[in-house]
Amino acid sequence: MKQLMGGARRRTALVGGAVVVLVAAGLGTWATDTWPFDGKDTYCWGAWKEDSGPGFLSRKALDEDNASRTSKETAPTPRRQRGQCTVSLHSERVGSDGDQIVAETKITVTYGPAPEGAGQRLEWIDGYLGDRAMPLPDGLPGATDGKQALLVLPEGCDTRDGRPTAVTLDTVARTVYSDTTMSADAGLGGSQSVARLLVAVANRAMEKAGCAPAEPLEAVSPMTTLPEEDESFFTRACRIRGLEFGKEGRDLEYQVGAVTRDFQSCSVRTQRGDGRYFDALMVAQPRFSALLDGVTGTKAPARGWRGTGVFADDYKVVRADCAGRPLTVLMLAPSLHETTPYFTAFANAVARRVGCAPIAPGGSSR
Amino acid sequence: MTDSENAEPAENNENNERDGSGAANARVPLHERRRPWWHWGRLAGSRLRLAVIIGVAGAVVGALLGGAGVAWRAGAGPFADDRACWGAFGEDDVAALFDGKRDIKTSEVPITTDRIGSQGPSGTCRLTSPRGRRITVQAHQLDTGFGGAGDRWADEFLSARLTPLGDGLLGMASDTRAWLAVPDGCIGRPSRLDVSGGPTVIDMETGWTVYDDDVDTKARDALARAVVKLVNRYMADEGCTGRIADPVRRMPEPPRFLVEKKDGMCGVKGLRLPSTYQHEGRHRPLLTRGDGPVRTCDRGVLFDHPGLRLMTIEDPRLAVLYDRLSRDGAKEPVRTGAHGEQDGYGFIRDDMGLFQAECQTGQVTFLVRADDGEHPDDIRALLPRYVAAEADRVGCGPLRVTLPAEG
Repeated sequence: MKQLMGGARRRTALVGGAVVVLVAAGLGTWATDTWPFDGKDTYCWGAWKEDSGPGFLSRKALDEDNASRTSKETAPTPRRQRGQCTVSLHSERVGSDGDQIVAETKITVTYGPAPEGAGQRLEWIDGYLGDRAMPLPDGLPGATDGKQALLVLPEGCDTRDGRPTAVTLDTVARTVYSDTTMSADAGLGGSQSVARLLVAVANRAMEKAGCAPAEPLEAVSPMTTLPEEDESFFTRACRIRGLEFGKEGRDLEYQVGAVTRDFQSCSVRTQRGDGRYFDALMVAQPRFSALLDGVTGTKAPARGWRGTGVFADDYKVVRADCAGRPLTVLMLAPSLHETTPYFTAFANAVARRVGCAPIAPGGSSR
Repeated sequence: MTDSENAEPAENNENNERDGSGAANARVPLHERRRPWWHWGRLAGSRLRLAVIIGVAGAVVGALLGGAGVAWRAGAGPFADDRACWGAFGEDDVAALFDGKRDIKTSEVPITTDRIGSQGPSGTCRLTSPRGRRITVQAHQLDTGFGGAGDRWADEFLSARLTPLGDGLLGMASDTRAWLAVPDGCIGRPSRLDVSGGPTVIDMETGWTVYDDDVDTKARDALARAVVKLVNRYMADEGCTGRIADPVRRMPEPPRFLVEKKDGMCGVKGLRLPSTYQHEGRHRPLLTRGDGPVRTCDRGVLFDHPGLRLMTIEDPRLAVLYDRLSRDGAKEPVRTGAHGEQDGYGFIRDDMGLFQAECQTGQVTFLVRADDGEHPDDIRALLPRYVAAEADRVGCGPLRVTLPAEG
């Protein structure tokens, strides 16, 4: 009896103490909005955390419609300088007419060097720097349009044969109805948000690969946005003299991309069907240039051209010295139209803009 | 061993309990006498009094906590927010703008947008020292119709005394003026298709000075830092990510009067200096230092108004300020070579010439403007050469403008 009473008292004291501690801890977590056992998932080698910002990582994205988020990843290692991670969102619901509607979002991050073949590599770099892509902030050698992104990693991560390693981000987001498929918003939160996601995953990947720089990369400053939408019904494309289209321009549209000292893009396409007429790209940023090492061959592409280059069936590329750094101009075009005059005009106009001697025959310098 | 040690205090407790119940009728129970004087049991004396005391104490503590909480949430009392200008400046930031003085009064109108959003966001903040110095901070969207607020804004804030903040920022600073556009990723980029499509800027003015070419670097740096803090705070309030870094370390020295060669007016090669402006003194030129967005060459500045200005605006987000004027500024349009309108628009008048070029980077403004129409020939002589030379410099060449016949 005596023992029992004593035990009860002590228990009361213990329980009281525990309650006080719990209440204090609860207040603390409530006040600071932290929770030690949040059970939140992380993705892409731990670089991204559930509920950490953009919509596709939010808990809310899983709230309805039989939604699920899955991920797959292969981390790079010091031995194997390649890696990939994928985050997929999948949801299904039944539409008003009883049909099934499936929403799919897939975000893929790839760590590794650029594709080997020249044609493939040009397509690859145009995919990330062309169209509506704008440079990443804080001088990072990269670009994004809010859906795709590229970042060239520091020299320390170059492959053994001296090719740069890049981290890329690609998005597929679509809604599939019974009779049609529509593209959708992936919920990445815009260019600024993509820049941060990309830099976070690049830092983590470099740690895994054992080539992280002393200071992690950062994307803090605001990004500039593209000044314009695509233009249709025009005669001069991308405000570049020599890209004149006369009557043909009525069925085409053009998109001016970034126009900086580091890169410049101009794409012309058919209004219907988004078919490519040509994609013209200038690349001068040294790390971007390094990605293109070897694609321009060893001799001039044709008479009167400066530097080295290749004119192939579906692409043209030339590299020449421009104020001490290599400047590469390239044009991707299906061989349906004669695009050489446009390529000549683009090469010389861009060279003149950045203050260089003409690259193509027939140009004049400042 | 351990068991017996543990059991002993429990037994003592039990003894106390029993003693207490045994002497329940005594005036001061034995167990109470054993308690120290401050024990609640001794202080209260009875259960009722204890309940009352606990109740009152609880109410007082509750009221204090509640009051503190409300004050904290409302930012009043000891939690008062003494941050000035929409929360952008702490006390040290304000002191940095007033040579370390801390007795600065502040008043502000919050940044709001009008009901239909046609004017963009606007707000005002004023910092006043008891010694009469004051700084006015304005958040507003620049008007594209009139060179940004009736030319006065351009006169003062695009003056050659200001140095660009660099790093692609759309902003400049001197010791009396500073401005910075809210980054376009945050609230959208200005567009000429917009009714009032100018950039939204936050600017600061501290008065005017007669020391044209003597910009106090320390004061300029303080203003540059302050205007970045204002924009960073505004972005945070708007829920935009991104932070602009301290611009000061990459800014060049403030400008000094330029020593001009006769065929190098404003440092533009091949541009002949008209005789009207050849005399020394008041007409010495001041030229913006650093890279873009603006290169201004002012001379004969009086009350912030230049006697003659040659200006190039490279950044299309700012060049949009002259877009409308370039199309309807005068009856005599300026033309360019074979492609006509494709290279841009412009006009020439007795007091000014303007060409708004369509460059690869977007619109670029070339402006020659006098404060009176007394030297129309000078304007006519200057505009084509200025446009040609500057277009080459900014990568928009070749650009040859032809003037309408005199008449």
